[in-house]
Formats: sequence, C-alpha cells, structure tokens
Amino acid sequence: MQGFCSPREHMSRRLLLKGLTFAGVGAAAGPVMNWGNLVDAPAFAAQAKKKSKQCILLWMNGGASQFETFDMKVGRPTGGPNREIKTNLPGYHVCELLPKMAQQMDKVTVIRSMHTSEIDHPGGIHLMHTGYSKSATVRFPEIGAIVAKYNGSEDANLPQFIKISSNGDSGSGFLGPRYAPFSMGHDGNLPTFAARSIDVKVDDRRQELRDFLEENYAKRHAAETSRQHREANAAALRLQQARDVFKVDDEWKKNKELYGDSLFGKQCMLARRLIESGVPFVEVGQSGYDTHADNFTGHKGLLPPMDHAWAGLLTDLQQRGLLDNTLVIWMGEIGRTPSINNRDGRDHYVKAWTTVLAGAGVKRGLIYGETDADGIDVKSNPVTEGDYFATIYSALGINYADENYAGVRPIPLAPFKSKVVKEILA
Amino acid sequence: MAATFDKSTLAWSLTFEGDGVWPTAVALLDEGKKVAAADRTGAIYLWDISGDPPVTDGKAASKDRDAAATGADRSPYRRLDGHTNAVTRLLALPDGRTLVSAGLDRTIRLWDTQATATGSDHAILDVERRKREAKKSGKKDAPIAPGIKVETLGPAATLEEHREWINALAMSRDGKRIISGDDAANVIVWDVAAKKPIAKWTGRTGGWITSAALDAEGKLAFVGEFCSSRGDFDRPPPDLRLFDVAAAAAGGSVPEGTTASAPVKFDILALETPQVKRRDNSYEYFSAWSKFVARGIVAADFSPQGDLLALAQGGETGTGKIHLIDTTTGKLSKTIGGHQYGATDVVFSSDGEHIISSGRDTTVRIVAVKDGKEAAALGKPRGGQFKDWTTAIALSRDQRTLAAADMAGLVQVWKFG
Amino acid sequence: MRFDRGNTSFVLVAALLLQWAVALPAIAADSPLRQIIDEQVRAAWQKQKIQPATPSEDGEFLRRIYLDLTGVIPTYEQARAFLDDASADKRSKLIDQLLGDPLYARHQADVWDQILVGRNPPEDRVRKREGFQRFLREQFEKNTPYDKLVGQLLRAEGNTVDDGAPVYLVQFERKAEDAIESVTQTFLGVQLQCARCHDHPYEPWTQVDFYGMAAFLTRLELVTVGKDGQQSKLAMGEKNSGELNFTPAKQQLPGKKGMPIAPKFLAATQPVGEPELPKDFKEAKFPENQPPVKPQFSRREKLIEWIVARDNPYFARAAVNRIWAQFMGRGFIHPVDDMKKSDKPSHPALLDAMAMQFAAHDFDMKWLIREIVSSQAYQLSGTGSVKDAAPLWYERARVRPLSAEEMLESWRIATGYDDAIAKTGKDKDAAKNRFHGVGWDYVVRFFGSSVTGEGDFQGGLQEHLYLNNGELGRLITSEKGGLIDAIAQSQDTMEAKIDRLFVSLLSRLPREEERTKFAEYLAGDEKKNERLKEAIWAMMTCSEFRFNH
Repeated sequence: MQGFCSPREHMSRRLLLKGLTFAGVGAAAGPVMNWGNLVDAPAFAAQAKKKSKQCILLWMNGGASQFETFDMKVGRPTGGPNREIKTNLPGYHVCELLPKMAQQMDKVTVIRSMHTSEIDHPGGIHLMHTGYSKSATVRFPEIGAIVAKYNGSEDANLPQFIKISSNGDSGSGFLGPRYAPFSMGHDGNLPTFAARSIDVKVDDRRQELRDFLEENYAKRHAAETSRQHREANAAALRLQQARDVFKVDDEWKKNKELYGDSLFGKQCMLARRLIESGVPFVEVGQSGYDTHADNFTGHKGLLPPMDHAWAGLLTDLQQRGLLDNTLVIWMGEIGRTPSINNRDGRDHYVKAWTTVLAGAGVKRGLIYGETDADGIDVKSNPVTEGDYFATIYSALGINYADENYAGVRPIPLAPFKSKVVKEILA
Repeated sequence: MAATFDKSTLAWSLTFEGDGVWPTAVALLDEGKKVAAADRTGAIYLWDISGDPPVTDGKAASKDRDAAATGADRSPYRRLDGHTNAVTRLLALPDGRTLVSAGLDRTIRLWDTQATATGSDHAILDVERRKREAKKSGKKDAPIAPGIKVETLGPAATLEEHREWINALAMSRDGKRIISGDDAANVIVWDVAAKKPIAKWTGRTGGWITSAALDAEGKLAFVGEFCSSRGDFDRPPPDLRLFDVAAAAAGGSVPEGTTASAPVKFDILALETPQVKRRDNSYEYFSAWSKFVARGIVAADFSPQGDLLALAQGGETGTGKIHLIDTTTGKLSKTIGGHQYGATDVVFSSDGEHIISSGRDTTVRIVAVKDGKEAAALGKPRGGQFKDWTTAIALSRDQRTLAAADMAGLVQVWKFG
Repeated sequence: MRFDRGNTSFVLVAALLLQWAVALPAIAADSPLRQIIDEQVRAAWQKQKIQPATPSEDGEFLRRIYLDLTGVIPTYEQARAFLDDASADKRSKLIDQLLGDPLYARHQADVWDQILVGRNPPEDRVRKREGFQRFLREQFEKNTPYDKLVGQLLRAEGNTVDDGAPVYLVQFERKAEDAIESVTQTFLGVQLQCARCHDHPYEPWTQVDFYGMAAFLTRLELVTVGKDGQQSKLAMGEKNSGELNFTPAKQQLPGKKGMPIAPKFLAATQPVGEPELPKDFKEAKFPENQPPVKPQFSRREKLIEWIVARDNPYFARAAVNRIWAQFMGRGFIHPVDDMKKSDKPSHPALLDAMAMQFAAHDFDMKWLIREIVSSQAYQLSGTGSVKDAAPLWYERARVRPLSAEEMLESWRIATGYDDAIAKTGKDKDAAKNRFHGVGWDYVVRFFGSSVTGEGDFQGGLQEHLYLNNGELGRLITSEKGGLIDAIAQSQDTMEAKIDRLFVSLLSRLPREEERTKFAEYLAGDEKKNERLKEAIWAMMTCSEFRFNH
C-alpha cells in the first residue's frame, strides 16, 4: 500500500530558495515556504546509511522529587525521612527507595543541576518535551517527533514515535502529521479495531477508490488537516503488517522478574521490544509524582516499581547489545521543593532538580552538577532546558542547530544560544 | 464515670517546634501527670503536667498561631534518645512509667521513663520562634544558644525484628500484648513482659501495614494494609482483616488464595464489597474500595468491651470518616464523624461511649457512638487552603486528660469535666 | 508658532497619523455588522498584502452552513433543493431557515455542552446530564440572550435533573477555586489558574486576584433535593456565611495562619462591601430534600452582576471572540479563552465593534451568528493554497473536523439509515438513544477529542483503525428506504445515480473525472451492490466528509 510521501515531496533546499514551486515537479502548487519538512536530500540519504540512534524516554509525570531519588539531603531540614544507600559508584549515594538503580549507577549520567523556566504542569510538560516554552503562534514538535524524523525510516511498518501511557500533547507540531505520536493506553494493547476485518482484495480496491477522492481533494484543498487525515490512514494500513510486536503476554512471563511485576515494568519491556524492532523513539510514562500532599508515602509507592523496571530495562538493553545505540532519558517536567509544606508534601521547584541519562552518546558513571547543602540552589554547572536538549540531540547524532520551518520562520531544534554540555557526552 | 466532654479547657500548649519536622506521636503517662511526645527526628520528650497549670492571660503565645493555642507552656524535663528517624507511635503501658515507641528507623523501643537519667543535653524546642524573632530584628541567623537543659536517657530495650518502616503499633488494653506492623507487610504480636514475639505473619506482598489494633486481652488483632499507587492505572488493593492471634501463633497452612500467611478471621473489605469478583489491582475493585478505604486506614482502636472496631480513613481525602465494625461479624455497623482532608488518629473513650479522633483539619472531634452526633470539637482549623494537622492523640484512662500533637509544633493538652 | 525643528517633527508625525487614520476605513457605529466585518477583514488583507480565496461554490457553502448551524449535513432532498434553486438570495434564505430549525438549538446545545462540561468532566456524577442538555436546547430555542444565559448558569436555580442549569456548577462541587477557574476562562477569556499557586509570571494576576474571585463562590453548597430513580437531584445553594482562607504560596508551611480573603473583582483595588453578620449568627443547615433557601446577601449574585455588566471589559469581548471563532476557525485572539493582556488581537477595530454591537443588541446570539455567516469573509471558499486549517487573516474559509456528534448524525443521514432502519423500528435502540446505529462509546473515543486545546486537529491512527475496521458497515444498509435502495431501485442512468451518491454524501454534484471513475468502479459490481457499498464507505471516510468541506 503506497503511502502519501512520494519522492516529489522531498526537494532540495536550494531549489526552494530559488523560488521554484512544486508545480514544476508535479505536486500540488502552493507557496513552498509553508512546508514543514524541508529536507536536504543528499545529506538525508547519507544519514540513513549509518545506523541511527534510538531513544527511550521514561517520563515521570507530575515531577519526581530529587530529594527522594538522586540528590539526597539526609539530616537537613529539607531532607525528609528517607535515608540513602551506597551505589556502585564509590562516594555516591541514592535514596533507599532505589536499590536496583543503585547498582546501575555505573551506566548512567545524573544531572543534579537542572535549572529550568516553567514551573507549572502544562508549561513544564511542554518545555521538557519540546525544549521550548509554549507559544501562541508556533506549534513546537516534541522530542519524539524530532527523533522520528531525523533518525526514523520513511517506510517502516511501525509508527516511528510511540507513546505508552504518557503525557504531553504537543505532538509533531510544525513537523507535520507524518511524525505524529502513536499513543497507546496503559495496557499496551493496540486500540480496538486494529485488525482488518475484510478480504484484502476488497480492502485494497476500496482504499484505491478512496485515494482517488483524496488526491482530487488535495488538489483543491491545501489545508494541513487533510494531509494529516491521509497520512494517518496510510500509517494505519502499514500497522497491519506489524501488529504482533505489541503482543507481549508470552514474553512477559519470562521477564517479570527482570522488570518487576508492575504495569510500568511491562510497559518498559514493550519499549525494549519496540526498540528491537527498529522504532527510533518510545516514550513510557508513569504518573502520580505530583505529591503536593503525602510526598513520602506517594514516592514510596511509585519509586520501587519504577526503580525495578528501569534497572531491568537497562540490563535488558545491555544484554541484548542495544544500550550503546539507545539513549534512555529519565525525567519529569519539574522537580520538587526543598521545604515540606503543611500537607506533608513538596510543591513545584525548577531552580534545582535532577534528570538522568544513560546509553548512546553519554558518559557512564558521571554525576554532573551539584546543589547546595539544602538543595535550594545549583552550586555548580547549571543546565538549562536548551542546553539539555542540545546535549540530548547531540548524543542521538542529531544536529541540534538544524532548522525546520514553521510558516516562514526557521526554528532550530534546540533554542537559539543553547550549548552542548560537552562533559556529559561520551 | 460519665464523660463530660462538652466541658473542656485547654490547659497546656507545650512548645515543641522543629526545623522542617513536626510532632508525630503522643502518649500520656501516670494518669495524665506526664505527657510524652515525639517528632520526625526521633527525639522523644517528657513534660511534667501534673497539678494545675499556671494561669495564663488567655492569649496565644505567638501571634502566628491562632487563638486556640492559649494553654500554658513549660519546657520538657527529659529527652529519650535512641531513635534515628521519625517516631510514628507512642504507647504508655498501664504501669504508668513504661513507654513504647516505634518508628521509621525500624525499631521498637521500650523506655523506663522513671529510671535515673544517664546524661544531659541542651535542646532547642522553639526553633521557629527564634527564626521569627531573628527575621523581625533583621538578623540573618536564628540564635542557637542557649537552649533548654534536659536530662537524657536511653532505651531499656530495643526490638529489631522489623526490617521496614513501622507505622502501626498498638497495645491490648491490659498492657500485656503489643502489635506492630511494617511496610514489608510484616505483623508481629509481642508479649510485652518477655519482649518476645508471640505470633508473626505477613500480609499481601507489597503492602504496608498502616494500622493495627488488639482487643482488650490481645486475642483478636486488626491489621490494615495499604500501599500508595504504583501508577495511575496500577493501584495495589488494600486489606482490612481481623485475625485470631492464637490461630496465627499456631502457624499451619492457610486456605488457597489467602493473601496473608495466617488464617483470616474476617476479611472486612471483602465483606464490604461482595459484588467484586477480582480482588486485585483491577479498576473495578479500585472503584469499589476507594470510597471505603480512602488513602488508607491510618488508625484503629477496639472498643473497651471489644464489640466494635473503629477504623479511621486517612491520607488526603475529602472527609476522613470513622467506620465502626461489628467484631462478631466483621461487617460495617455505621460510619460516623469525619475530618476535612482526612483523619490521623482514633481512640475509644474508656467507657466506650465516644470516639475521639484527630485529623488534618487541626481539630480533635469527639463523637457519640450511639447516635453519631458530635459532642465536642477541640481546636479550630488553622491555615489557608489546607489546614495544619493534628497528628496524634492520647487519652488518659480516667478520660480527664487528652493530649494532641499539633503539626505547628505544639502539644496541646485538654482537661475535661 | 515659530517653525523650528521640534515643531517640524511634530507636524510630520501628526501628518503621518492623519494619513493612517484616513487609510483605515472609519467605522460607522451603526453599519450592519456584516459590512464592518468585510471592510475590516479586507483592510487587513490589503495591509498584509494577501490574496484571499475565491468566494465559495454552492455545494461548498451548502455543506458548511448546514454543519455550522445545525450540526448535520443536508439530506439528499434538502441538498438538491438548494443546488437547483436559482434565486439570487437563496443563501440568506437558507441561513434564516436554518437558524429557525430546531436542529439549530440542538447543535448549539451540543457545542456549549462541550464548552461548559466537556468530554471528561471532573465530577463523575455529571457524566449523565440530560437535564442540562435539555436546558441548553431550550435556551437556544428561545434565543435567550447570552448575558441571561450566563446568569442562569451561575445562578443555578432549581436542580440538575428537572432544571438542568445547576450542572455547570455542580461539576466543581464545593471547590470554589475550580469553579472560578472555569468561570473566568469560559466567560471572560481570562486564565487565572497559574495564580492559584503563585503569582503569575507574565500576566498581572496575583494570588490575591485568584482567591479574591474564588471568594465569590465559596459559600456555595451542594444540596440533594430529591431522587430520580438512581440519579440524585442536586442543587447549588448559597449560605449566609463562610470564608475562604488563604495563605500565599511560600507560606503554606505548618503553623501559618490563613486569613479570610474578601471577595474582590479582577483589577479592582477594593474588595466588595458586604453587610456584616450579627455577632451570634448561626448558620442553619440546608434541610435535606428541600430546595435551599436563598441567603440574605448573595456574593454569587454580585459576581453575576459584575460579569454580565455592559462595562465589563472582558465579557462582551470574550463572547464575540469565542462565537466568531466558532464559525471562522480562530478568534481575533487565539486561543479564545486565553485573552491575555499582552495579546494583540488580529483585527482590533473589528473586535471592538463586534463587542459593542453585541452588547447594543442585548447579546442576541442569533443576530450575531446571522451577521457572521452572512459576511463575505465567512462565505469564502475553503479551497486554495493556504495551508493553515484556520488562517490568521481569514483569507480562506477554515477547515474543521466534524465533531463526534456531527459524524454519527451525518453518516446516518448520508446513508439513509434512519429512514431505512430506525424509523421502521428495526433498531430497538433508536427510539431512546439519539446516538444509535453504531457503538457511541467508540465514536466518542475516537472522534470525541480530535482537536487540542488550541483547536489543532490531531486525529490519529486510532481514528483510521475505526474507519477501516470498525462498525461503519452497520450504517451502510440495503434496506428499503435507505440510499442503496434508492439508487438500486431507480431507473436512472448511471450518471444520475452517481449524482445522487455525491449529493447524498458530499452535498455536491460530482466532477467529470469523478463520474468517470465511479462509473468504472460500480460497473464491476459482482455481488449485489457490493461495490456500491464500498463506494459509500470510501465517501464516508474520506477527508471531504471528515471535514466541513
């Protein structure tokens, strides 16, 4: 089944800048500057030849507390009741709620000096998915869409940007519907009606009739919405070929101990399967970290299964030889306050918080950045959201300064003036 | 003795502030002549509150506290050192002098509060007041000296059987047995005199024991289990069960499918939700139990006669109510009382006619068991959107004295009648 | 006055200003609004040097106006009547006809039900809300002025089942803070939620503003006044006393006293005065199963007065911005419920004029809608080269996806399902369920939230899995009375049959190449009408059906 991304839609940028319209190359006429996915054809082909890096984002929705995870302040007024345990990095301790990750510290880079600008959930979720603050006029793409575009494959059967039970609805923004996320619910099952229910021959011919209608419609209507409609249909049809990768029950029986018997564990295993099948970006979300009340019992419920699953994922990727090519990002949208409020909770905090990276392109066993004794301010090596994304894109082999067009505005992947944190890159 | 809870006076408002920590447990010793309170650092202090309190001017000691904190103040005379993390429960044995504590350092300790002190130390119990005054006079740091002088004393015994946070600790009314429960679902019933376990069992894997109680002679045990969610769609089921201690002690096999290692006498939650088929982390079960259990049953107490069991709904929840369970059937008799944002502690009056509960609305409520009507509300909600908590309460045997730990750094002591 | 350099610059500037003032068309306050719309929109095109699309063709306009005003596509007969009508004023006649159609009220009720409650209300008990939907329909049937409608929603008289209006506030139960977020956002276009937890970073709203507004609703109490079978009848009573205690965010620590905050309007410097309660006042509890008694002094009433006041700087502007966006795709300020002070409207003079006229016409919604859809700007074609779904300068008609309700209703109209099956009683569900024919749960799940908060279409894979493999086959019926029967039974030529197909499904006549292609396709029909069913399927699932063009 032919998709709608035919060669005529890829054009060299030089031709574009000379003002040639598509009419000259047989596609729908229109002001070319409105295309969202300008690609430099020769460079793109070259990149496709070497194996592209893949990415798993473990999204801690609500904002996990750095005081209950990687930046312990035991005994301080801001410390809380959790104690710390040794890790397999001499001199470094983590929260006692992360016993398995404590033995994986030699695989990861911990950034304790995150210093970002959006303190509420919608703003923070947008910021830490796109690298940009929300704008009324520009629809920024999420990191998943960017990785799908730069490191993905044009005619794969599986969606190239998959979200499992996670948050954030910026989607593919101005990159266009081709890179929209395929969102799966918490149970990891494909949505109902995923299986074709009629004879293939019949389906093919009726799809062809429908394509005819769509092509005619596209000649007269340039609005992006219908392009989205067509491309999503093409993706739905391609999905028919690849449905089996989502059936995880058998494999789960063997992997329950490695990942821990929790929903998040199962979702992480599915993520590994998808990476194995070549999907460039998978996001798995765990929700409930917004502990304005009962912060300690809340984190005690969430962290141990997360810890088990994350450690299992890193181990599994390592054992299958996938970790060198896969960047595993652990983060939420915000951190939590040093002070404990009168609901036994911690509120939002973005002046100093923690994220963790592991795998492709980043150093192993690095603790980067520091906060002061009470965790109130960053003491050294602050990392802003722009720097953070620049670093991540670099680790994934993507040029963070590359520009895409939103209307007539060129927008770099990471915000202008972002700098790569070189010490983190391997 | 007739309970005259409607006539109450706030006798004491004892300062017990901490830096980023607050009082978490309280007990009355020696017929209400002494009060013990512990906080999140694990320090336990003793105050002498015998006799009449000094006359106050009826105004709160500090402007930042509301008018309710008008009791007299006094420094503690003794500190009990040993715990290295928060103390979650304090019990006073009927002998009037032995204190039992348990907490997040995974130990249970027994203290002879009348033994000779072994040391002394300076302690600062009014750190917030010092910070406020420093701020007013423009100084950067609060003064740390001089503090108050306290005697210090170590535990008479330390019990280290538990391997996880201990949030449940309770006593049979005769003082001979104690029950403790931890966050690894381990339950232990102890012989106090021997300081040894009588019975040990575990609840559902992955569950936390959030509350436990023993009837008057320690023969019937209640265990409440709960575990915070693992994710929005992954909610471990709670358990509320009554166990026969002797049967648990005897050991032996349990019926297939029981999620505890001791035979269950009554599964209260199963009786409450008969329509549910799968008692696992399914959404269907969650919808059924969440109204009954809220965010965990955080405190429990048997009535003195043993006919009723009070269960307090806790965690930040709309209305922390008290369920009264008929102990002969395990079924809910009625639900009374309630604290906005959740209850924190519950105790029966010595004559069994009233339920006294504390909650996250800074208030201690006394409710009649017979008709569910509120007889008295001690304290007033303080705070903005969310109120300060009254974290724990203790009632003297003669029902004349009630101590309450106040999150704002106070031990409030009321006198009745 | 002497001529020196200073004066020369002054004169230059003044001349420039005069030139600009002359260039912009002066707005005569009593010009018809549709005229003002076209003048202003055209002026903006000239300024931006934009070429607008051509005016819409009949078929295009027909489908669009039916969907926008009644939420369904026209039937075959209705479509043919319009397409065949040669009169010059058929469009304005159709507009009047549709505004008077009961389906207008039903569609507006659907639209406003989604605005006021939405697909995932915070309170489970308002998921089933027939009383509310009926209330909305009645108001739109009567063309209740907008300010009165808002007053009814906030006054919440009666109960949720019999009267309906209280559902809006009931969904927030007793949480005044949640309610005020929705009220300010929906009716004033002001987003206060950031100021709930901390002073707003960019906008001027502080926590005091937020809690001062929430204080107006803090005395509301949910009362059960009866039962209707399984459903409780709920009312929102208001007490005489009760305060909202507030501590600034940084002080939410143990031991901090909360101070009661007096009700205060946005941007006001002083709180609203209210009578003092007598010292020994005791609030009586609302008795069960009785409508709650009104308080002696109502803070809520004061809030309503202020919101709908003619001189409220937010109300009329937010209203017209929203209603304009409903038909034009985007507001002058976008998103419509986030009219930040720092935002510049795309057409400031038009926004002002529209707000003024809306108020002057006593907030008559039908009048406003009629003016908007009668403008040339609205009636532009949806074809052309502009890629935005809802162009900023309105240089092309907006393209929008059909809502879940519109999809299902329109599918049934297109295939003649109701005539063939529902009306004959063969579908037992049809009589009691408006959304019959296929599983409504699926339709809502896949088509119910295809648009993000900012109005961007985000239909995804799931939609297409449903379209390809779902239950549409059930609607494509061969039963007598439906479309297939009508086509199969007719003695018409193949051409005429294809015409009927297109007019039924896409409300237009086919183009030559479409006639050829479809004739070829249908000629291959081996089993009876199989290919005809496939053709209908293709048309039901294509972009032209999915969107309003």
